[in-house]
Amino acid sequence: MANTPMPPPPDPGNVQGMVLRGYTHPYSCHLLFTFPGRSGAAGFIGALLGYVQSAQDWGNDKPVRMLNIGLTYAGILIFDPTLVQFPSEFKAGPASTGSQQSLMDSGPSAPALWWNGDKPTIHCIVHVYGMTADALSGLAAIVSGAAETNGVSEFLPLKSGSGRLTQYAPLGHDIHFGYHDGIDNPDLGWPQYQEATVPSDANNFVIGYPGSVFSPGPVSGAAGAFAKDGCYNAFRVLYQDVGAFETFLTQYAPMVVASIGGSLQQAREWLAAKLVGRWRNGSPLILSPNAPDPATRDATDFGYSADTLGLKCPFSAHTRVANPRDEPTFPADTPVPRLSRRGMPYGAPPVPPDYGGERGLIGLFLCGALAGQFELLYSWINVNNFSNVFLPKLDTQDALIANRISLSRGDPSFTIPLPNGQAIKIPSLPPFVVTRGTAYCLLPSLATLRQIATAA
Amino acid sequence: MANPLTLYVPIKQDPDTQLKAQLAYDNFVSSVQAGLDTSNIVHYARLALIPNPGGEGILAICLITTFDGPMNPYLKYFWNNGALQSVFTGLASIALNPPNPPVSDLTGFENFINDNNLNTPDDLYNAYGQTVLQIRAQFPPQA
Repeated sequence: MANTPMPPPPDPGNVQGMVLRGYTHPYSCHLLFTFPGRSGAAGFIGALLGYVQSAQDWGNDKPVRMLNIGLTYAGILIFDPTLVQFPSEFKAGPASTGSQQSLMDSGPSAPALWWNGDKPTIHCIVHVYGMTADALSGLAAIVSGAAETNGVSEFLPLKSGSGRLTQYAPLGHDIHFGYHDGIDNPDLGWPQYQEATVPSDANNFVIGYPGSVFSPGPVSGAAGAFAKDGCYNAFRVLYQDVGAFETFLTQYAPMVVASIGGSLQQAREWLAAKLVGRWRNGSPLILSPNAPDPATRDATDFGYSADTLGLKCPFSAHTRVANPRDEPTFPADTPVPRLSRRGMPYGAPPVPPDYGGERGLIGLFLCGALAGQFELLYSWINVNNFSNVFLPKLDTQDALIANRISLSRGDPSFTIPLPNGQAIKIPSLPPFVVTRGTAYCLLPSLATLRQIATAA
Repeated sequence: MANPLTLYVPIKQDPDTQLKAQLAYDNFVSSVQAGLDTSNIVHYARLALIPNPGGEGILAICLITTFDGPMNPYLKYFWNNGALQSVFTGLASIALNPPNPPVSDLTGFENFINDNNLNTPDDLYNAYGQTVLQIRAQFPPQA
């Protein structure tokens, strides 16, 4: 194998912060905008430039408030209509036929129903973060003021509350289904040689550097210059049906008790763990197969390949599909892509027995190649066909977040193998999530943001 | 669930280009055999030479395939396979209207394929719904 040296890593001062680091700010909101034209768009970006957080280490001086900016392809064209050399899936967008081959949003998740059935032309998403509620609302007001001054229209994606996608801070890093989230993200290292790149390295995420088999692009021409040191964000809002989830656990807990004994409450938690591959506290089933363990709640150093029968973790458990680790995969599915996840919950939790109300996950899935990384993983979520552990049918689905599509394209059953050679088979998992909307954005470099801010 | 790709590329009319098109046709199966075997997602693939209306010379090359699953996520496999990449970049290089800039990376390759694909997933008739992997699991290839 050749050892081709890598160029130096990107200057963190030129990369938007969320690309290279996960934020721990407890307050955030995500504002969707439509530009009026180039002049207004430039004025809007220019007004926000001073608040854009780069990936530079902030040391002990953690910003109280900050923001990052994403542009859709339609938004980029507002600034320069000649930038046509972006990847096809970014240009066509997530509602396109090509992307829907992977995302498979149908029924209540269908693109026609996204954003409450409205048809906004989203040009820009501004991600605002604060250490306090006041810090967040203060910066959000500045963003709104900049929009008003420049004729930029805000689109409100929710029909409840403020209409904005605002993080529900009290949940911290938990999601509405009760799981601890955000445990495992790529380390975003920098390889010494191009050939030594592994999927968790930063050159798979930041555009403009060699060595990645996912080939983040564009890398040439004017579009390449525009995208250099940028990163894509698959922005996906998923409603979480907590009522359906809890009802499911209650419905099947007796079947679990009949198979393995214990109490109904223990059976509910066991079933919840088998769906996801981690107990609700975060402990992975591979390391803690019998009960959650505080010592393993943040564990990331484990693999699945030794669990050849799925006795610890079912093959279709969410974390085993979305991040298969060392699971053997077919050649066209190798290497396993990684995503940087920067998601957070929105909406207040339900007050049982009333499960009404809007709540779910604001998903920010960062990658250098929307098709080769995000869409490939999503296609596996909807149809488990990437590894021989799913043979011979190769058509089961991610137990938690798959779109429950027609039987001809995916089998919604869920099998939990047991040590006695028997198995618990759930004939048909219900849909636990509904896609509320998706947008593909580029998180441009700070240099690009400065450049377009002057494009009056 | 299979999908169609019908890559239609009108080509230049000079003798060198015409010869390259004929060679691509003559060597197609041998040049893609190993790569497509390993992909496990392509049911059938063939290259067709479209004659000029007058019957003399080649008007265009047509690459016709039927494959499993979404197209764009798997284009990186074809781009990263040296033999398959050569076939596609070869087609792009003899195009009457070659991509500008020339196909030299995965983004350019994706755009070349999508810009010249005449079909969408809804266009395909399926006699069966099984994938290549499902069929091979039931009927392992003979040695």
